[in-house]
Amino acid sequence: MLAEALAVLAKELRSELRSRVALNAILLFALTTLVAVAYQIGPYRIHEEDRPHLLAALLWIILFFAATSGLARVFVKEEDAHTAKTLRLAARAGAVFAGKFAFNVVLLGTLEIVVVPLFCVLLGYRVAGPSNLVLLLAAGTVALAAVATMVAAIISRASGSGTLFAVLTVPLALPLLVMLIQGTRAAAGSAELAAVLPALRGIVSLAGVTLVSSVFLFPVVWHD
Amino acid sequence: MTFEEIGKRFGNRSVLAGVSGQLRPGVVLVVTGPNGAGKSTLLNILSGLIPPSRGVVSYQDGGSELPRERWFSVLGVVAPDMAMYEELSALENLRLFTRLRGLPSSDASLASLLSELGLAPREHHRPVAMYSSGMKQRVKLAQAIVHAPPVLLLDEPSSNLDAAGHELVAALLARQRASTAIAVATNDPREIAWGDEEIELAG
Repeated sequence: MLAEALAVLAKELRSELRSRVALNAILLFALTTLVAVAYQIGPYRIHEEDRPHLLAALLWIILFFAATSGLARVFVKEEDAHTAKTLRLAARAGAVFAGKFAFNVVLLGTLEIVVVPLFCVLLGYRVAGPSNLVLLLAAGTVALAAVATMVAAIISRASGSGTLFAVLTVPLALPLLVMLIQGTRAAAGSAELAAVLPALRGIVSLAGVTLVSSVFLFPVVWHD
Repeated sequence: MTFEEIGKRFGNRSVLAGVSGQLRPGVVLVVTGPNGAGKSTLLNILSGLIPPSRGVVSYQDGGSELPRERWFSVLGVVAPDMAMYEELSALENLRLFTRLRGLPSSDASLASLLSELGLAPREHHRPVAMYSSGMKQRVKLAQAIVHAPPVLLLDEPSSNLDAAGHELVAALLARQRASTAIAVATNDPREIAWGDEEIELAG
């Protein structure tokens, strides 16, 4: 199963590196939003006491909405290009989900590597606990990728799948976003792990629940 | 593989009603019928891609029934609504499908299969997006037989192929028929001629 999942991941990475459709979509969205926010707000237009709350929220709003513009492609493109049937006949459902999920983790990770440092520089975002922020970003990446991959599989055969993806993902990801914003705010204010632990536990639990339910739900969605 | 009393409805429209048959090595089953008669639907049901509204499909492996989740491992399928990954080359596509099936394969053997199906070696490394429709059809045929499946379901296998391509498919079937259970859905008289048995679906 692991070898099959890695084969799916390698295929996704190779296809994406050659077409760059998802990468261009999410990076363009993220950078445009980031520049617009930085231009309007910059590092000094928010009161010092409001900065941890507002900047944490802005960071995750940029990351989340940029991600929604690209993460659905993993399944939508298979249906659009008529390769879904070929893949269904060749690979086990579990391997397909694992490979696509891993690709979304890589895509989201790449987005964060580009956007988070730029965000910190352009908006003067000082983080007291950078390692805590990295932990939150890693957990958030896994959780968001799990939600997005499962929703992408569900909506891939529907017409107007782009709109449907956003409509379904937002309510599912909302509790996750709230925890990520709270955790990021805590990471900005303290270097202690204890400060981000409650949010981290919640995010990891949500990621776990989503992944476990996907293991049971995905084969039904994929073969239905 | 046997299928009994297969029926399929899409809403109020009945596409298939009471279709039965058997696939076994040495016999090519041809499924014919006018457009919309349900030829592709029947092949999709036999491959497990869509469930029948009624009836049963069963795969026998050494006297025991093969569970549905393992059907894909014994199947090779070619259909007009299947495509290869266009960003990848023909060789990369075949490499992917052998890896997905957990099979060891060398690039030399994959290249040899592509050459057998009429793709010149210089084409093996070009992205499939740059291929003509006939060349894409040859890659589809290659992915269907790369794992030497005991069951082949071919929906219009020589569509988009020139006369030489049609001859290649005929030769391929002649080679495979002794060891492979084959079903061909078609309305092409040249493909109908390959059949030993025929199911004619009413429109």
